[in-house]
Amino acid sequence: MTTPATPRGGTVFDIGYQRYTGPREGRRRGRLAVFKDGVRTALGLGRGGRAKVLPWFFIVVLSAIALIMALIAGAAERFAGPGASERLNLPSHADFYAIASMIVFVFAAVVAPELLCRDRREGVINLYLVRPLTGSDYIVARWGAFLTVMLAATWLPQIILLIGLAMGDASPVGYLRDNWLDIPRFLAAGLAMAAYITTLAMLTASFTTRRAYASVFLVGLFVISTPFTLGLAQEIGGAAGRWLSMFNLTNIPVHVNDLIFGQVSEITEDAPARELPAAVRVAWYFAWTIIPGGVLWVRFRRLTP
Amino acid sequence: MTPGESLLTAEHLGKRYGDVVALNDVSFGITEGITGILGENGAGKSTAIKIFLGLLQPTSGSATILGQNASQSVGVRARLGYMPEHDCLPSHVSAAEFLTHMAEVTGLPPSTARTRAADTLRHTGLFEERYRAIGGYSTGMKQRVKLGQALVHDPAMVFLDEPTAGLDPIGREEMLALVRKTYREFGISVLLSSHLMADVERTCDRIIVLQAGRLVQSGTVGHFTKETETVFIEVDDNRAGLVAALERRGVAVTVDGSGLTIEGPDESVYDLVRDALVEAQAPLRRMAPRRRALTELFHRPGDDAPAGGAAP
Repeated sequence: MTTPATPRGGTVFDIGYQRYTGPREGRRRGRLAVFKDGVRTALGLGRGGRAKVLPWFFIVVLSAIALIMALIAGAAERFAGPGASERLNLPSHADFYAIASMIVFVFAAVVAPELLCRDRREGVINLYLVRPLTGSDYIVARWGAFLTVMLAATWLPQIILLIGLAMGDASPVGYLRDNWLDIPRFLAAGLAMAAYITTLAMLTASFTTRRAYASVFLVGLFVISTPFTLGLAQEIGGAAGRWLSMFNLTNIPVHVNDLIFGQVSEITEDAPARELPAAVRVAWYFAWTIIPGGVLWVRFRRLTP
Repeated sequence: MTPGESLLTAEHLGKRYGDVVALNDVSFGITEGITGILGENGAGKSTAIKIFLGLLQPTSGSATILGQNASQSVGVRARLGYMPEHDCLPSHVSAAEFLTHMAEVTGLPPSTARTRAADTLRHTGLFEERYRAIGGYSTGMKQRVKLGQALVHDPAMVFLDEPTAGLDPIGREEMLALVRKTYREFGISVLLSSHLMADVERTCDRIIVLQAGRLVQSGTVGHFTKETETVFIEVDDNRAGLVAALERRGVAVTVDGSGLTIEGPDESVYDLVRDALVEAQAPLRRMAPRRRALTELFHRPGDDAPAGGAAP
């Protein structure tokens, strides 16, 4: 015996407009919302497939480089005996940022403009600025968002490399015990690289509403400055050559990386700037990070719709 | 905020851009309701709104909003909404996501922001379309999203800058209905900036008229239209006789197309019209009170300057 199905139904009540009496968390919540939106935009999270392709392609490539480095070191340890990777001078944590720097630069050139150009081109920034948020809040939140993405892009491969090298060693715990200093070193070097690239990329993006223009300019700046300054610096030689070599924008954070790890990487060993004192190279790095950062802040500080 | 208390006050407000005077010694107060701020392009409407939003510093005078100095409090913007005239919407995200984000930017916690975004989109008539990318919306739908983002955080007051710009007649009607609903159902006071007098007349309770940075009119819409109340009469025959009979009774009458227009300060004019109709033996076809539209009030033929009294 079957029971007749009772019709399922419900009633929709229109309770009208409800006033909001809950908490208002002010500028802190606003800054956090712009920060979160910046991270999501940079990584294409919550967007269509096309928005994800470029950022994740670069992150996968950077991780793949680290994985390959770890596999080669592991294979050397296995087939040539313990300590083979050091004897063969195989690239490790100290060399990663030098090897991957151009990819990191292109990644920033392609992704960073998306965080600033679109808001200004579509006028969304006008809505941010009429909320409890200042121009400074906006740019600091956006800068912080892209710095976070850059840290993920620079630290993740180093972590993969660390795990790979430890697992490839006969004694993973022993490897970590002997090389634990590499961890704060690559974290510090990654932070230096991420802050420098983030600032330059965001500053460039602040001058145009077209993402493509900013990307092409940045790629051109990083790619052209390397052969131009290197060739000319070696040709001129002397102190002038050393200072000219400092204008190789790709090398500026790599010099800091070299100082942190206490060794010279492959791409800076031929750079005349290497002969300048460490303090000069560090000061040069800070000048190229803080001054563009200040210009970026001034551009947005008094921005009004 | 108690009823009748000013939500927004301008006292001798002035703003200069170099040699250009955008606002010149403007004083007014706005209480709860829908207030229209009228003026031609360059009259100073947008400058006034930006000063109240704290985005511009006045050159002279002061602007107070919700009891706070507008130029010294960023926090007060959490209780204000703003719908700009120009494009301001991201094309690649859905209306639901965008309103949620904007509610968070205004300080609402994330879970509340999501709920309020859905509710606001329902009230603005976009609930069914809320998950579509805004880039695919019509102009009318985009205007609703713009209004929605101004309301999503439940402000005490909302500034609407030309909300009907670019809309077809039906879309315009719907937007004006939403503006009326914003105050009458939601309880959110509105300052509507427009150069379309018909929009202001049909929507607002009060008006403020700016011209070349100066305040030239302010008061209730009813006050302005009542002052200009007229009676329109059409007769089938002997119109000239009726005009003469009315003039003998001291009634100011003007020929208006096929009929006559009589200036009537009060209802006693109807008795005079009745007597004149009897005397002239003119068969009456139609007689109706007519209120002048604001457009007539501000643009009388031949007048360069707006008509009406000086601002109080």
